[in-house]
Amino acid sequence: MKTILLAMLLAAAAAPAWAHAKLQSSDPTANSSVKSPSLIRLVFSESLEPAFSGAILSDAAGKKIPVSASVGGATITLMPLSLKPGAYKVTWHTVGHDTHRINGSFSFKVVP
Amino acid sequence: MNDAPALILAVARGLYYAATMLLFGDLAFSLLIHAKLPVILPPQDMRLRWSALALAMVAGSAWFLMAVAGMAGTLDVQAIIQTITATLFGEMFGLRMAALAALALVLKRGARLAVLLALLALSLPAATSHAAAASPAGFTAIGGSLDAIHLITAGFWIGGLAVLLQLHRRGEPNILLALSLFSEWAMIAVLLLVMTGLINAASILLGDTGAPSPVYLAVLATKLVLVAGMLGLAATNRFRLMPQSRDQTIARNAALELGAGVTVVLLAGVLGQLQPTL
Repeated sequence: MKTILLAMLLAAAAAPAWAHAKLQSSDPTANSSVKSPSLIRLVFSESLEPAFSGAILSDAAGKKIPVSASVGGATITLMPLSLKPGAYKVTWHTVGHDTHRINGSFSFKVVP
Repeated sequence: MNDAPALILAVARGLYYAATMLLFGDLAFSLLIHAKLPVILPPQDMRLRWSALALAMVAGSAWFLMAVAGMAGTLDVQAIIQTITATLFGEMFGLRMAALAALALVLKRGARLAVLLALLALSLPAATSHAAAASPAGFTAIGGSLDAIHLITAGFWIGGLAVLLQLHRRGEPNILLALSLFSEWAMIAVLLLVMTGLINAASILLGDTGAPSPVYLAVLATKLVLVAGMLGLAATNRFRLMPQSRDQTIARNAALELGAGVTVVLLAGVLGQLQPTL
């Protein structure tokens, strides 16, 4: 009984954690309206495998926008050139150290 | 997890763990018997060891290939090379395959080195486990270490049972001495196994903002019920049957325990592929 109680205490004290690399936050945030961003930053819940993680930016017509992209730690960063006003979509894919692949997307608007 | 490659990956992962646990537990407990009980000749069933080693290599390779396909979305030479050279999983795969290859060279002799190599092959995947990946930045080594302890203690329990059954099969007259030694060490192993299992499960499930996945919980609950059954059988053997020297019933219970243990390991293979939370 003492062992079980000890294990439960240790379990309760365990730091917050997640399984599989999920998107925790982004800048710009999903569905926001912003002025042309110089950086688009996606922060995930765990470290990523850069070889198999990335993101693309596309406009309202689905046309891919050229960006410079980098993956480091738990963050994907896109550096677009000046974006014209309109709707944009970021489509990302990640693989964490546990090898699981996750996909997702979010949209934001650029206003004048 | 709803397609064939994911199922193959889960089965391959489970078989890899089952094989390396059998190898490690068999080698470690045999070494312990050799050191502590000179009256008993350890079983040294080389056919079992070679089979487990071959299974570990085949299942480990299948696990790797399916993981590459899952990560890259395709299975070609470039994706394989990229995985080996640019991912933690690939590096760990290389190391555990090297450990298994070296184990093949020392399996017949060098018992201590063989135990160490089997331990490496069993515990290295912990570096890319849910528990390690789920740990906050800077704490992945703690999550990975806890998972490694979980794997090693499970291996000692399962492989040790296999040794006891081999001793029973050959009619070892001093089997109760071996059983007593096993109980002594298995109690510590099980204690660590349960503790690390609880911490890992809590860390994975409680820290996430999403609700636990019903499928994940169902598989986890089945695993826990089986482990509880194994603990019940172990306690019956240790505290009720051993004092009465009822060898036959002890051996039957140990076989049931081993069967449940291998099932638990296969379920763990499935758990590793499931998304824990919605």
